[in-house]
Amino acid sequence: MSGPAPFAVRETDFSGSPTPTLEARGLVREFAGFPAVDGVDFQLDAGRLLAVFGPNGAGKTTLLRILAGGLRPTRGQVLLDGNTVDVGDREWRRRIGVVSHQGFLYGRLTVAENLEFYGRLFGLSDLAERVPERLAAVGLEDRSRSVVRTLSRGMRQRLALARALLHDPEVVLLDEPYTGLDAHAAAILRDVLASLKDGRRTVVLVTHNLGQGLELADRVAIQVAGRFRWIDDRDRVEASTFEAFYRDVVEERA
Amino acid sequence: MSQDRLRQTGVALAVLGTLGALLVLWMVFFWVPTERTMGIAQRIFYVHVPSAWIAFFAFGIVALCSAVYLWLKDERLDMAALAAAEGGMVFCTIMILTGPLWARVSWGTWWTWEPRLVLTLLLWFIYFSYFLVRNATENPEQGKRFAAVVGIIGVLDIPLIHISVTWMRSLHPEPVVLKPEGPSLDPEMLITLMVGLATATMLFLGLFLMRYTVECLKREVDQRQTGAQAAQGA
Amino acid sequence: MDYFRVIWTVARKDLLIEMRTRERVAAMGSFVVLVGVLFNYSIDTAIVRPQEIAPGIIWMTIIFGGLLGMGRTFHLEEEDGAFSGVLQTPIPLDALYLGKTAANLVILSLVTVLIFIVFSVFFGLSFGSHPFVLLTVVFLALIGFVGLSTLFSAMSVRTTMGESLLPVLVFPLLIPMVIFGVSATSRLFAGRPVSEVTGSVRMLGAFAILSVAAGALLFRYVVEE
Repeated sequence: MSGPAPFAVRETDFSGSPTPTLEARGLVREFAGFPAVDGVDFQLDAGRLLAVFGPNGAGKTTLLRILAGGLRPTRGQVLLDGNTVDVGDREWRRRIGVVSHQGFLYGRLTVAENLEFYGRLFGLSDLAERVPERLAAVGLEDRSRSVVRTLSRGMRQRLALARALLHDPEVVLLDEPYTGLDAHAAAILRDVLASLKDGRRTVVLVTHNLGQGLELADRVAIQVAGRFRWIDDRDRVEASTFEAFYRDVVEERA
Repeated sequence: MSQDRLRQTGVALAVLGTLGALLVLWMVFFWVPTERTMGIAQRIFYVHVPSAWIAFFAFGIVALCSAVYLWLKDERLDMAALAAAEGGMVFCTIMILTGPLWARVSWGTWWTWEPRLVLTLLLWFIYFSYFLVRNATENPEQGKRFAAVVGIIGVLDIPLIHISVTWMRSLHPEPVVLKPEGPSLDPEMLITLMVGLATATMLFLGLFLMRYTVECLKREVDQRQTGAQAAQGA
Repeated sequence: MDYFRVIWTVARKDLLIEMRTRERVAAMGSFVVLVGVLFNYSIDTAIVRPQEIAPGIIWMTIIFGGLLGMGRTFHLEEEDGAFSGVLQTPIPLDALYLGKTAANLVILSLVTVLIFIVFSVFFGLSFGSHPFVLLTVVFLALIGFVGLSTLFSAMSVRTTMGESLLPVLVFPLLIPMVIFGVSATSRLFAGRPVSEVTGSVRMLGAFAILSVAAGALLFRYVVEE
């Protein structure tokens, strides 16, 4: 582990800057003795987007689940504005949004009911205005009373996006959001991602799609076998040569 | 204490326990007088009662270690709970096997709904589900937590089960009621019982420590194997 | 209060889904009616009067039929990973457990009402002259049963054995419910005075409190990853 000695604070103090800096220190997560994440360090300034690339099985999803507070790291810690966040920290969950290839939706509830349910669990009080507004943003305003099971795949994916961002999280974690999207949903996702870059949100995007990741990133990391083998600012890499560079890093030639 | 010391202590206790078991057998067969009303079959009592004591004592350890394990997430507590559960299961099984033997001779039936018998059988099944959930998950960490939850709920429910099965008997009195043991016991019988208790306790603690150290080694081996596989795979 | 709003939101969502699909109620409902039919042919009415063994059969039907539905408490949650989504919200996990338990209690209460109707229609049982005491007995037992089976169904759905694990886990712990439930209902059916069942009611109360409290306390360790 590098960096200053970790200090653990039970109660996270969120009174600092409105947009948090996100930091990982020596994150390790083992499954039955096998390290899926094996010592990840990074520091992400407020309002910036980190794209994490890597081949399958590199531990990207595990890393994201640790950052989301859903998985306890075996060692190391996640810090927000310099304060350690604990697994099960409820205030942390309020400030974070997760988009994954799963939609986290209830197929038997309607579009609006899904958003209302999650909205209530997040303790939101303005659902009457917020839900229609968010549905309009993803082009589902006329489907609010449809049962989710009857929606097309693309519509469900758009709804999943609206669900993940319903509570206006300041930290957004995206796990392979482009997987299986149809053209329309991908376009909306690109818009939504671009709108996330409003300087008020700190974003981590995990993907193996180099082009789409580079388009938005401020910082870029390549994760192989549980470690960040390379991490740098976006301006330091050339988009045209990045693919070759990525392959070199993954195959340990760089 | 280091692992080696633990193992040595475990082996020493197990050897003592084995010697004690021989002594108990000698006392049971040649030394202790025959009980007047229950006859010769009552001699199984000196194996049966200590087993019962250990089975419940061990489950107490399981629950205690489980509760603290969920709290502190210390692997050693999980290993201790597992070792105690395996030891407890052995003695619980002895108790269940010796009980009906005794019942057949003195009550004329293999099984009766005597509350302690029922309680033991249920305890055996709670132990059983403790092992079942432990091995039924993809993620071993989850299995450990599940087992801990079963252990804790088991120990909370056991008093209620005990009350309910005892209360049931007061409704339907058994034709043969156990003689209250204890103060009326002949001194030689009491000595034999005490030696039996001490022996069972030593045997259990010996098994417990040995099982614990084996589990330590097993997890170390697992870890090294996955480590080696990961190194090969990379 | 916030805490109770979470319980209510979770319970309402479960009941809404059940109202849409009617999956669990349909499975449990047809189970109990068919048990009534099978029960009729499983005894020789010339020798045994159904009234005499009905309380026991009623409780066994509640347990078997109930477990059938309770085992599926978390299946709809796993579809599309919805439960992971719920775990990412800032709600206290004990409130989540209590919400799901409350919804299960409502569903199982409906099924239990059906059981009593079936047995009274099929066998002409009379339920004694203390309906409120009977209601208390059944309700307390159901709370305890639902408390344990909700917790353990969260566990079994995460194992490779699935629902087949549920009876092994739950049955040994249900002995107090069966003994005190059967004893109290038998006495009430037979028209015995209420004073004979107060002990059972107290024990069922203890069982209910213990189950729900243990469930609320331990649920987080079952669902955490």
